[in-house]
Parts: sequence; C-alpha cells; structure tokens
Amino acid sequence: MLILVTVTILFVTALVLLVLQFAAQGFRYNWLVAAGGAFLAWISVFFWQLQMPLALQFPAWQPALLFAQSPTFVGDELAWMFAVSLATLCLAIILTAVVRIDFPRPINWIGTLILTALGILAVVADNPLTLVLIWAALDISELIAQMRVVEDPQLNERVIIAFASRAAGILVLLWAGMVSLANGQMLDFRQAPPQVGLYLVVAAGLRVGVLPLHLPYSTESTLRRGFGTGLRLISAASSLILLARIPLSSLASPLTPYLLILTSLAAIYGGWMWLRAPDELNGRVYWLIGMSSLAVAAALRANPIGAAAWGCAIVLIGGALFLSSEPNKWLLRALFIGAWGVSSLPFSLTATGWNSTLPSSWLVWLVWPLRISAQAMLLAGFIRHSQRTITRVSNEDQPIWARNVYPIGISLLLGTTILLGLFGWSGALQLGNFFVEVPVALLTFGLLSLTPRLRVLNPVRAHWVRPANPSWLDWIYRALWNLYRQLRRVSDGISNVLEGESGIMWTLLFLALFISFFTQRNP
Amino acid sequence: MNAPTLWIIFPLFLGILLLFITNQRVLSVLGGFIAVALALIAQFVPIELAMKLGPLSLKIDSSLTVLGRVLLIQPTEGHLLALIYGAAALWFFGAEASKVAPKIVPIGFMVIALLVASIAVEPFLYAALFIETAILLAIPMLTSIRKPPGRGVLRFLIYQTLAMPFILLAGWLLAGVEASPGDLALAAQSAAMLGLGFAFLLAIFPLYSWIPLLLEETSPYLVGFLLWILPTMTLIFGAGFLDRYSWLRSSSQLIVGLRTIGLLMVVTGGAFAAFQRHLGRVMAYGSIAETGFSLLALSLDFKIGIPILFLLIPARALGLAVWSLSLTILGEHVETMRFDAARGILRLTPLAGAGMVVATLSTGAFPLLAGFPARLALWEGLSRISIGSALWMMIGIIGLLVSAFRSLAVISVAEEYTSWEPRESPTQMLMLGLGMIGLFLLGLFPQSVQFMLANLPLMFERLGR
Repeated sequence: MLILVTVTILFVTALVLLVLQFAAQGFRYNWLVAAGGAFLAWISVFFWQLQMPLALQFPAWQPALLFAQSPTFVGDELAWMFAVSLATLCLAIILTAVVRIDFPRPINWIGTLILTALGILAVVADNPLTLVLIWAALDISELIAQMRVVEDPQLNERVIIAFASRAAGILVLLWAGMVSLANGQMLDFRQAPPQVGLYLVVAAGLRVGVLPLHLPYSTESTLRRGFGTGLRLISAASSLILLARIPLSSLASPLTPYLLILTSLAAIYGGWMWLRAPDELNGRVYWLIGMSSLAVAAALRANPIGAAAWGCAIVLIGGALFLSSEPNKWLLRALFIGAWGVSSLPFSLTATGWNSTLPSSWLVWLVWPLRISAQAMLLAGFIRHSQRTITRVSNEDQPIWARNVYPIGISLLLGTTILLGLFGWSGALQLGNFFVEVPVALLTFGLLSLTPRLRVLNPVRAHWVRPANPSWLDWIYRALWNLYRQLRRVSDGISNVLEGESGIMWTLLFLALFISFFTQRNP
Repeated sequence: MNAPTLWIIFPLFLGILLLFITNQRVLSVLGGFIAVALALIAQFVPIELAMKLGPLSLKIDSSLTVLGRVLLIQPTEGHLLALIYGAAALWFFGAEASKVAPKIVPIGFMVIALLVASIAVEPFLYAALFIETAILLAIPMLTSIRKPPGRGVLRFLIYQTLAMPFILLAGWLLAGVEASPGDLALAAQSAAMLGLGFAFLLAIFPLYSWIPLLLEETSPYLVGFLLWILPTMTLIFGAGFLDRYSWLRSSSQLIVGLRTIGLLMVVTGGAFAAFQRHLGRVMAYGSIAETGFSLLALSLDFKIGIPILFLLIPARALGLAVWSLSLTILGEHVETMRFDAARGILRLTPLAGAGMVVATLSTGAFPLLAGFPARLALWEGLSRISIGSALWMMIGIIGLLVSAFRSLAVISVAEEYTSWEPRESPTQMLMLGLGMIGLFLLGLFPQSVQFMLANLPLMFERLGR
C-alpha cells in the first residue's frame, strides 16, 4: 500500500501541475506544489521501512491459463535503496530548479515527477513481466520528452537509436523468459535456470549502453541540468535494478568471464572518456557507462547488493554533481562526500561493490587491474569535475530564498549517500575490500597529480551544439547500415518479382515448389 | 425474431439503405451506433432463451431457413457477434475522421453480414459462396468510377476468388471422407484442397502480394477494414473445420504445417516490413505478420491456442483501425506515403504520426500495448514446445520493431527548427486519442475484454475444451 502512496503522490502532483499549466497559466505557486509533492513522496519512502517487505498486486491478467504472472510489486531492501535514491533525486531536481535560467518551468517538473514515479515502480517490480511493462512506459515517456525538445535532425536520430537500444534490452529480457520456459521453469526473480542469467545481465547492459558498448547519447546539448539529469539517471537506475534481481544460481555459465572482460573494457572506456571530458555534463554519458559497467561487473561476480550499491551511487552521487551549478566553496567541499561514496572505502556506499561469492578463474583475475583502473579514472574524473568552477554560475543575483533552497537539494543527495552507506540495507556499514580500495585511492591520487602535467590526461574540447565527430562506434553503425542495405536489395528483388506483371505466375510457381517441398518432407 | 435476421439480414438491408446517405458524419455516427446496438444485443440478450420484459416475452430463435438451407447462429456464438459488431462500430465511428464513411459504412455492414452468414450457413459448403460475395462487394469499396482499378485490386480479386473452388472441392471431398473415414488418399486430397483454399483466403506466403499493392493505391482505412474482417472471419471459419473433423484436428502434419506457415508469415512479414520505404507497405506486412501470429496460435495445444487466437482479435481490430486511420490522415498532408515524401510529417500531424508508430509497435509486441499480452502468451506457448520456433518468432518481432523505429525516424526527422504546427481536425484528434488510449488499456489490462472473450471457445464443441 505504501508503494501506491508514494507513486500516487508523484502522479497526482504531476497531474495537478498539468491542470494548472493549462487551466491557470498565471498561477505563481507551481514550484511550491511540485516541491511539496516531491517532499511528501520522499518522506513516504522512509515510511516503507515500517512494513518491509511491502507488496502491491495489480488486477491479475486473464485468462489465468495464459498468464502465470501479472503486474506485481514488492518493496524490499534492495528496492528501497533505489526508491529512496530516486525520490531524493526528484526532490533535489525540483529544489535546485530555483536557480536555473528557465525557472519556472513546470513542464520539466511534471516530466521529472512522472519519470520518478515510473522509476520507483520499476525498482519495486517483482517479476520480469512487471519490469518490462514499466521499462516500456519509461522508454515511451523518455522518447516523448526528447522528441519535444530536440531540433537537430542528427540528434533526433540518436533519440530513436537510444529508444531502439532500450527496446532491444526489453526484448532480451523477454527472450530470457522464453529460454527459462524452454527449460521448464517460469522466469522469476527468485529462481531461474542457469541458462538465463547472462541474458538478464545483457538486457540490463544493453539498456545502459554497456553490453555491447554503445553510446546512444554521445552528445546532448538540449537537455542538460535538471530534467536532463533526471531523465538519464532515473532511466539508468530502472535498468540496473535488474542486476540486483538476478538469481545467483543463474549466473553459473562458462561465458561469464568473457562478459566480464567486455564489461571491464567498457568500464575502462567510460572511465577514460569521463576523466577527459570537458565538463561533467558533456561527460555524463561516460559516467553512466563507466559506473554501470562496474555495476554489471558486480552482478557477473554474483554480488547483487554491490550492483545495487553502484546503481544508487550513479543516481545520488551523479545527481549531486550534475545538479551543482554554483561555485560555492562549501558545496564544492561537500562534493568530496560523493568522491568518498564512489571510492569503495570503508563505510562508503560502494564498499560492498567488490564483494564476490564466486570462485575466481584466471580470466577474472586478469580483469581486476582493468576494473581498478576504471574505478580510479571515474573517481579522479569526479573529483576533477566537482572541483572545477569554470562552468559554474554564481547565484548572487538570485533571491535570497532561492539561494538558500538550492544547497538543500545538493545536500540531500549527499546526505542520502552517507545514510545508505551506513544504514541502507542489512549488510551495510562494511569495511570493503582493502586490496581494491588502496590501489584505487593511490591510482586516483596519481591521476589527479599527473593531470596538469600530462597532455593526454587533459580534457578534450567540448562540442556544445553540434554532434560529436564520427567515432569507431559510428563505423560499426555504418557497417550495420551497409548490411541492412544489402538485405533490403534482396527484399526489393523478391517484392518486385511477386508484385510485377508476371507476379501471379511467379507466385503459383513458388506455391507449387512449396507444396512439392512439403510433400517430400512429409510423405 | 431470429438471430440470422438480426445479425445477417438486417445489416445486409441496412447497408443497402445507407448507400443513399452521403453525409460523412451522419453515416459514421448512425453506422457506429447501430453496430454498437447489435453488439450489445449479441452480448446481453441470450439466443434461444425467453426473456421476460414486464408483460412481454422476448425470445431470439437461433435459426432461419432460406431456400432449404439453414442459417444457424448458436447461442454460444453471441459473444463472437458482439466482438465483431463491437469492432465494426470502432471502424464506423472512425470513418468520419478518415473521410471514407460513404464507402466503408454501407458496404462494411454488408460484408460483415455476409461473413457472419458464412459461419452460420449449413451445410458449410455454401460458406464459400458467401465469402466470395463479400469479396465481390468489397471491390466497389476499393475502386472508384473515376479511375481504373489498380493492380492490387485485381490481384485481390483473383487470389480471393481462387479460394472459392478449392473450398468447394474440399467440402465435396470431405463429405466423401465422412462416408469412408478409412480412405487416407481421399483425406489427404481433401486436406490439400482445404489448405489451398485457406492459403488463398488468408493470403499465405507467397499469396499476399496484393496486400502491399493495395495499400499503395487505395485508402489505408478501407484496406485496413478488409485486412481486419477477412482474416478474422476466415480464421474462425477455419477453426470450425478443425472442430468438426477429428482426423484433421489430430493430424500432427497439419499442426506442423500450421506452425511452419505461421512462422513463415511472421518472419517474412517482419523482415519485409523492416525493409520497406513506404508507410502503407509497412502496414501491409504488419497485417501479414498478424495473420501469422493467429496461425501460430492455432498450431499450439488448442486449450491455450484457442484463447490466444481470440485474444489476438481485439488487438488486431484496434491496432489496424488506429494504424490505418493514422495513415489516412498522414496521407492527406503528403503527396505519397513514400519515406522521402513523408519526412518530418510528425510536426504537422503529431497524433497521426504517434498513432502509426504506436500501432506498429503494438503489432511488434512492444510491452504496454494491445498486441503484447497475446503475443507474450503465444511466444511462451511456442517456447514450451520448441525454442527454435520461438527464436524465429523473435526474428519476426525484431523486423516489426525495426519497421516501427524506421517509420518513426522518417516522420520525426525534420529540417532544423521546423516548428510544430498540428493540422489534424478535432474529430481526427479525438478518434486517434481514443484509439491510442485503447491500445494502452488493452496492453495493460488484457482482462478488460475477457467479459467478451472468456466464453468464446464454447462456440466450438471440441476445440479449446
């Protein structure tokens, strides 16, 4: 019931804002309504702790003979971690909106509230069917939001590619269900046959752009702070929850180490690009890739709690950085809490990120240095971006209330990071893995100290308006496009034969061939 | 009062009368409401059961004898009639928005009445004649006296007409099989004739070339209506054969054949849809894949296959209605529906563009949309039997989804800074909006149509029991 309370508050607030948007255009307290709704929803998530695990069942799909599963939601420890992260992010986005140039912009808050509600529903999804339904809702919402603002034709194309890649993730999750059924078992988050686990990892990996590595949004100039941050992070969190739900028994596959290698390479790529990004907003996609890769790696090492921790770090710590827009020295210092959160140091949010219960093969040991380097680059990049003040704008010209409200938003995210690291779940408050923490910390210091000295570590130029130059990923897209064109020629040829003047004769000939083929196969 | 008069003869004569009305709105509203009324009566007034309304006693008889032949609508077929006339109401209400009401409403009533007659007539041999008459009636709907009929119309007529002799021959041979059940050669011949007849009727690969041609040259709304009603009624007619003949029902070869042909339809429909450069042709291949899904449903264990078959019907009706209405509206604002001409059209017709994409996604089993629940159940049923078949179905689905993404890319990629200037009329916006809401509702709550579908398998004596 409490799940419904939180989600209803968010949806009702969005609805009220929507009505006000059209019915009372001069209404001046839109922000107050949005902030009030987001605050209530945020508080309500904490009340989940009183009754956990919570359960919510939608009307069962009929006929029951055909549908063994129906939309069902469960709020357990893992779901709560994500839900509180998303609710905090939503509140922070609306609180920090007061200093944005385009304030007030209710349509963005409506979008943020709806996305958060859907994101919370995704993280409490109790079975794959529920998850794909919510994923689809999120993808359609994101598509509409992007289509509304994107003007550049190439960016438009990117929006559709991103939508398609997410849909591919949905399809892979559905396929996992089919493989499970073929093995005589209905796919569930509690039990799954060993053949299925990797499909689940790939589904989540596809949606966040890790497996295979792809960048649906290599540049995004239109949706930046605020709503843009919500869009990216909520979408990522809703995908990464799947990693935390993969049954441990399903990951015993000989392919796991190879996927771990691919994931580690994606992490290295994301970390490197993030470190060299001109600023945090241009590098946001790499932050997502790098951190998500670490989450996927944790899942592949049978560490669902670790995957959830990385997922929450993406939302909370990433959110704090991407929403920060003022060169306030106290806030800059406070962002070091975020750095601690990503470091896997004792009692940090990601301290559990490197745990594993699986035996390690030599291939797994081989990727350790890659993952450690990736984390160090992500951490160094975070510190560098959080302490740079060039792209920040002072809030001096803002009214006093706005100047006071803005830091609350950032502090909430950082405060929740500490809270989750200490009390987030029953296994929190951990020392972590010293064999990782120490090298990551040393490597981070090394990278930070070398950045001013080595040109290769310096930021690349920013592309504010136009899309990035063609990359190796574009070459892959181009190769796929060429293959597609070849296949299209074949399809055109068949269509021309069947639909041309002599089409009827050709059709009857084909028919005769088919019949003779089948009669020979089935005497 | 009897059921055949109410659901066959009345709509037939109503259609003739409606030919004299030319006002789009009057036709659309009148046709829609009458279809709704027929659907409501079919759903709530039992056949062959006396109902007391105060001092009056009302009973609808199930049969009507015409020239020695019987038109028989069983009490269990009431839900099917409700479904058919309910979906017809949907098409008729949308007719005003598509501006083809003078064609689709009168002829639509007549076509539906004849196809209902094809299911009701006994002996069933005469069904082929009713189907053929319905097809002949559809020709004036697809053609205009101002221009000669295109290649698509001619192919449609040829292929559908070729079905009739095969069905008649099959009926004749089946009578022989009933007389001497041990004659395997005769059974094989009759099954082959029946198969060919249905292959032509259902436009099985490679006999579907008329569908894309027709969608290039005729109003998508009219073609969409035919692509809904003809395969739907044909499939139910075909399921009736399976119900009637146990040797057919228990033939493993037939089941394998149905599965192979269903997969062929889904895969070729999906793959060809992915490669098209014409929005209408994408819909054509989408509807071909739809028929493939239905055939696949028939190839499963009938206990789950028949409910899936019926679950596919409302999704198909609504999906095709939204899709074809969207294409008709898009067509008003572009010279042709080729991709190069339709570039950026989303900014002029946002709802029509969205409707087209949503309907394509629904056909491609995108979650949250009407097509998803039935396809999910079908896919699950298939994977229990053969994971290879499930993989082929996925390939078809991927093709359909790719076609949706390509269509979206084409209609949304406009010149930079092109402003949004919606040009849809309020009626068009209303119908498209309602249609899309319906697609989402059916996708999220498939149980919402169970009040109509739950008892549909009862119309068969053995299938689905």
